[in-house]
Amino acid sequence: MARARRLERKPAVAVAVTVVFFAWLYLPILTVALFSFNDQKSLSAFSGFSLRWYDDFFHNDALLESLAASLGIALVSAVGALVLGTMLALGLERVRSRRGRVIGAITLLPLVTPEIVTGVAALLVFTGVGLKLSLGTVILAEITFSIAYVTVIVRGRLANIPLEVEEAARDLGCTPLQSLRLVTLPALVPALLASGLLVFALVFDDFVLAFFTTGVDPQPLPVRIYSSIRFGVSPAINAVGTLMLALSALLIVAALLLPRLFNRKSSSLDLITGGERR
Amino acid sequence: MAVDVPTRAPEDTGERPRRRQRSSQRTWLWGSLLALPTAWMVTFFVSSMVIVVLLSFGNTTRDGFPVFGTTTENFSALWDEVYLRLFLRSLVYALATVALSVLIAYPVAYAIALHGGRYKNALIAAIVVPFFASYLIRMYAWKALLSDDGLVNSGLRNTGLGDGIELLNTPWAVIGGLVYGFVVFMILPIYASLERMDLSLIEAGKDLYHSPFRTFLTVTLPATRPGLYGGMLLVFLPALGDFVSAQLLGGSSTFMIGNLIQQQFAEGQNWPLGSAMTVAMMVALTVLMVAYLRATSSRAREQ
Repeated sequence: MARARRLERKPAVAVAVTVVFFAWLYLPILTVALFSFNDQKSLSAFSGFSLRWYDDFFHNDALLESLAASLGIALVSAVGALVLGTMLALGLERVRSRRGRVIGAITLLPLVTPEIVTGVAALLVFTGVGLKLSLGTVILAEITFSIAYVTVIVRGRLANIPLEVEEAARDLGCTPLQSLRLVTLPALVPALLASGLLVFALVFDDFVLAFFTTGVDPQPLPVRIYSSIRFGVSPAINAVGTLMLALSALLIVAALLLPRLFNRKSSSLDLITGGERR
Repeated sequence: MAVDVPTRAPEDTGERPRRRQRSSQRTWLWGSLLALPTAWMVTFFVSSMVIVVLLSFGNTTRDGFPVFGTTTENFSALWDEVYLRLFLRSLVYALATVALSVLIAYPVAYAIALHGGRYKNALIAAIVVPFFASYLIRMYAWKALLSDDGLVNSGLRNTGLGDGIELLNTPWAVIGGLVYGFVVFMILPIYASLERMDLSLIEAGKDLYHSPFRTFLTVTLPATRPGLYGGMLLVFLPALGDFVSAQLLGGSSTFMIGNLIQQQFAEGQNWPLGSAMTVAMMVALTVLMVAYLRATSSRAREQ
């Protein structure tokens, strides 16, 4: 009994640090969100509730154009990274050769390279081959950077799907492509959705890569925000920032909850058998 | 990879050759799946790194246009007191970020993993969600909070605690920004290794009449060493290359390598020099990483 209590005793220091940490984590964000509803320009005295900064944002054509550009970049990059990353995950997981391991290591490199290096390198390769910097070059750079996320998530899921399931599909007369399409891919759906959402959120508010690879007009939203906050703080940015944070937070929560949602409803095997019954 | 265990009655004589054919078909399928992403990564990542290295030996024409070359003067230009001091400062900031992150992340991961109960996942999610939502906006949030008319300074003024202090433009603001930006990369691996740990080990330590602190040092800490080492690397890498924190929360007296590189490409327009800085940073990172991995893996073997 005494021993149990000793183990149960909460480490006061660790708990205190955790409480302070959460306060520190949320205080700046919540302050930005709060003052985005301020009816005055002040960032320290809240005088009254108002939506004027949001109204400003929705009447600012340049910012709206940037928002549309960022959403477009995120969508195309998420789809592109999803396709390439899934292909890579399937290939790497099933071809366990030396060459495969080398390719696997190369694709993980962007994750451990400081983003500024990736950004500079992308800028040089695009100008080197004569591509004009635009939203297209941002998309190319973002896809390159995001493939690794998809590959890691999908490979993790793939490792849990027993090979025998594919073998069984083959025994029932499926061609390799059919077994991939009818058996493996449906089982991967939660992982695909989750990694797609994650990449969308990451690309949507990625700043560094966009900064190095974007052209002049229209600029992605984070780049535009950066150039206006470099020299000061403005309440209008609070509104934009709150919107961006809210959107990314929603997407990431969805990405975290999705696989769970699928798992609770049915295991991966149920998904497969469900598919076959149809 | 073919499974040769017959799953049907062996009278099916056509089984074996067909299987082999299938197996080769399949290898072809997987191999072809690898081709496109590999080509993509080689085109846009590997070759881009090669171009950075090549351009670091280049120079600029008189009107500032970068051309390839074989000069090493970009690298010798880096051997300058101004740049060396800046490199050293970046290294110190990044190491301070790692140290502070460990001090924050370990207790947080410990409290959540061992005492979070059924709120564990919710608490981790509450950390992960804001961390993966816009880095730029979070840095901006700090700038707003610490700025001269921000909440902290006006609070100080209103309570009569002085005229407000300059919080921005200090090394602590920049390091604080870096910790705020990347501490999650420390929390997650430590949390994962605490989760994997066999908790009866702690109990055993206590049975042997270790004090809680000694149990922590001799049992918990060694068991979570891989997570700790991984986290240190994951925080150090982005912190060393960061330029947003120093740009928004600091000033020219707190600039880091990232700011220097960014200036060469965005403002200074000396791309070959910027490439040389990038290469120098990558070389330093690689050397540090290899040394670090050697040290940590030999430690791990001794365990």
